[in-house]
Amino acid sequence: MKTLKDLSFSVLDAFKGRNQKRLRKINDEIMKEAALNFTRPLYELAVLSYILAKIVSKPRFLGKELAQYLRRIEDDVRDLAQAAGTADEAAMLAMFEKASGSVAVLEKVDPRFMRDLVSKGKLKTAATMYAQGMSLGLASDMTGVSKQDILGYAGRTMMFDRVKEEMPVKERLRAARKALGGNE
Amino acid sequence: MKPRDILCDSGSFISLTTACLDQILPFLSGKFGVRFVIPPSVEYEMVTRPLRGGLKPYFFSAIKIKSAIRSGVIVTVQADVAGKTERILSRANNIFFAKGRPLQLIQSGEAEMLALAGELGVRDILIDERTARMLIEAPFSIRDHLAEEFGVNIMLDKKALSEFDAFTKGFVAMRSSELVMLAYENGFFDHFEDLKRDALEAALYKVKFSGCSLRFDEIAEYMRAVK
Repeated sequence: MKTLKDLSFSVLDAFKGRNQKRLRKINDEIMKEAALNFTRPLYELAVLSYILAKIVSKPRFLGKELAQYLRRIEDDVRDLAQAAGTADEAAMLAMFEKASGSVAVLEKVDPRFMRDLVSKGKLKTAATMYAQGMSLGLASDMTGVSKQDILGYAGRTMMFDRVKEEMPVKERLRAARKALGGNE
Repeated sequence: MKPRDILCDSGSFISLTTACLDQILPFLSGKFGVRFVIPPSVEYEMVTRPLRGGLKPYFFSAIKIKSAIRSGVIVTVQADVAGKTERILSRANNIFFAKGRPLQLIQSGEAEMLALAGELGVRDILIDERTARMLIEAPFSIRDHLAEEFGVNIMLDKKALSEFDAFTKGFVAMRSSELVMLAYENGFFDHFEDLKRDALEAALYKVKFSGCSLRFDEIAEYMRAVK
């Protein structure tokens, strides 16, 4: 099991190398870890790694004119990686908040979408938790993302198609007819 | 005659209102005399919080549910189920273990709904949420899914599972997709005339895309059974 510190430094290294593939892989790793041993900082790191992977994947963010903004994000990630393991949870969360703020500043330079990167990252993380097996309510409680948003996202993915149901449709309909008091 | 009650989770209302199929509720209620029962927490989540909290994206759904509550199609039922909720929650979240740790699967709202069903003697549950439904119907499938997702062995505590089963024994879970099908069978889509079969298929896709835990092959299976 990797520590929050190890994972944070992995995120930093991959971001500095502008390595989207690596960031995605680390995100998967953090997501699994967060589902098994949920902590708020781990969840925030999952969101941040997703956001950074998104940033790295967009050439419009990688031009020279935005380099200072990316450096600021790198500094924030370095700060939180160094503090992980020694700082308390509140302090860690404040550092994640600072990193999110830096992402928002980067996005403001050239806004394109209604939903910002941070909200998108939170939604994706919450929906992944639901897809992994956490209930909808638990995923919503843990992430602060509304059930409506999670369902809207989940409904457009294949998550429900990946789990085999035990009960055939015919049997379900029979039970539903009975529940309503009609003929089976 | 005593009305039949169906206990509902918030997820099914989200799917139905998002898909603009919420009129199925009064339709089936009128046809079969059923009441769609919810705990106060679902009313708070679906109506009070969006309206009072200024959550504009959810206003319209909240108004539609509020109107169904006013007309008696949806009924909020209160019961003291705190103790039972706690016990269900503790059992459900100690059934599966990964790397020696219990996996948290459901939260208090979902446990409360199951506790309320037991308390009221309601066996029929409308639930679009996948995890709690599968815990009731097919816990071994959810174990396999967790093992695949996390790539680790998932251990099962048989005692916790059998205690959880005792709380949910006899429950029949249905999804909003089954309500859509029953609505079709009873004429809800008849005004589409020769397009009514297409309308049904479109409606099933719509509830799926709105979050109902329904698979594409199930939609195909539904449609094969429809004349």
